[in-house]
Amino acid sequence: MTITRRKPTPHKSAPTRSKPRRRFEGSWFFAAASAVFSASLTGLILITLVVQSLPVLGSAADTIFTTRWNPAEGVFGIIPMLFGSLIVMTIAMLIALPLGLLAAIYIAETRSLRLKRAAKSLLEILAGIPSIVYGLIGVSSVSLWVADAFDLQSGRIILTAGLILSVMILPTFLSLTEDAISGVPRRYRENGAALGLYRHEVISSVILPIAAPGITSAALLALGRALGETMAVMLVIGSLDRLPDPLFNVLTSGQTITSKLGREVAESAFGSAHFSALVLMSLILVTLTLALTLGARLLQRRTLS
Amino acid sequence: MRKPYTSRRALSETIFATAIRAALFLCAAILLFLIGTILWKGGQAVNLSFLFSPASDFGKSGGILYQLLGSLLIALTAALLVLPAAVGTAIFRHSYQRAGKAQEALDVSLYALNAIPSVTYGIFGLIFFVNILGTGISWLVGSIILAIMMLPTVTLACVQSLQAIPPNYFENAFALGMTRGEVVRRVALPQSAHGIVTGLLIALARAIGETAPIMFIATAFSGVTLPQSPFEPVSTLPTHILALAQQSTDPRALENAWGASLTLVMLAALFSLLAYGARLYLNKMRYK
Repeated sequence: MTITRRKPTPHKSAPTRSKPRRRFEGSWFFAAASAVFSASLTGLILITLVVQSLPVLGSAADTIFTTRWNPAEGVFGIIPMLFGSLIVMTIAMLIALPLGLLAAIYIAETRSLRLKRAAKSLLEILAGIPSIVYGLIGVSSVSLWVADAFDLQSGRIILTAGLILSVMILPTFLSLTEDAISGVPRRYRENGAALGLYRHEVISSVILPIAAPGITSAALLALGRALGETMAVMLVIGSLDRLPDPLFNVLTSGQTITSKLGREVAESAFGSAHFSALVLMSLILVTLTLALTLGARLLQRRTLS
Repeated sequence: MRKPYTSRRALSETIFATAIRAALFLCAAILLFLIGTILWKGGQAVNLSFLFSPASDFGKSGGILYQLLGSLLIALTAALLVLPAAVGTAIFRHSYQRAGKAQEALDVSLYALNAIPSVTYGIFGLIFFVNILGTGISWLVGSIILAIMMLPTVTLACVQSLQAIPPNYFENAFALGMTRGEVVRRVALPQSAHGIVTGLLIALARAIGETAPIMFIATAFSGVTLPQSPFEPVSTLPTHILALAQQSTDPRALENAWGASLTLVMLAALFSLLAYGARLYLNKMRYK
């Protein structure tokens, strides 16, 4: 038997409303229009980027995956920028991941509510410092220290950019990792302790495996932020469009996708192959960060269910 | 043979305890260094005449009056622009939309908007507004782009506070014979006002420090005072710091950059504090 929905028939003597109930009224139109607008923004941005990156794919497609960038000759190799982004990101993650994970374990496992509150509000302050201010600190202090430490002429090198970036992604990663570890129910810790395990054994063999999806998701979000960070990296990386020589020499100047965009977009003419090549790099960047962030979201939802 | 085994475990425990303490200590040291540097170096440059006098000599001397006003103008306009769109989207998602594929698509789109790097917003604004729509470099375009960047934060804050309204409020309202529109206007909006205000202030605190989205499309470096129309560039604190940081060999430029940085951080902190205060105050009002 199927259940059919019917409108309730009003009793004859029931007072009838003067106006019929309308489902589509002013509030609905306003709300629906804003929802459609909001939902279409991402698409609009992506389509704009794709359309504007077509010219370089038509005119200089064979030069894109080379290591030379020279707009005057119509050569747009983006490999140095891609490599720069990857290596700066790697340095930042190598520092921020262990440091953030260990500090998060301390904050979560001491179970002190006061420490946790203090840490959370301090991390919020750190996350609120604009990236241009990190850039200023990089230019005026960190790059000078690095230059001194490695006896270089200039401290505006890949390593400095990685160091600054690691400090910038630390608050987000630390805070989210702490949430993931604190979210593991107490009984797992009690069972572990009852089995006579040391604290580090409880954490490494019980807590961390359970919190792993949450921690991975935090790491992916941090990666996405590291890739997209512009101002601080642009000021300290030295802006040199060449692959480091030898390849993993982090003590030379380099270039990331974002620093390239920040430096050159204002100088290139709209509609030229040069501009189009920059838009193409931006499209690659967006694709990477979108994949990382949406991946993190999937992981997070899997943890919840 | 048991004894060495036990002591190895005990040793790892000690190493582990030392490592997590050292990590926390290092994080605290970084935090102190950052905040200390900004306060110390900024504090030497900031005073009333620095805040209220215009920049001169390409920012190397003088103050930051027009940068401060420009930053406030561009960010507050963005907040005004984002408010209706975010509230409308949140109301639609909460009160009109059924859970399903369409809602999932809306959520993914909002999260994606949050994931797009800030420099890409600048490039999008440059292509779509400055060149295709032909607006030229104008502060209004900067505000529109900042509003788009703020949209996910404000919308999600609204949705969360709508979801926190106890369901019996809605049941009672419908039982009184109110239409959906009336419920939205009389119940949902007033009961979620605290979340809307808080979300807006948090987004403002973030937006006012943004450099990359506005540096191609809304700002000019020197010789800018207050704009006479929406289609003129302004000067803002973040782009001012950028310009000064690029002449970092000049101590005077550096000093002014620190002063502008401290002002910017304080502005962001002010909006965060207001958000915190608004949450406390409006919550109290709600349960009176």
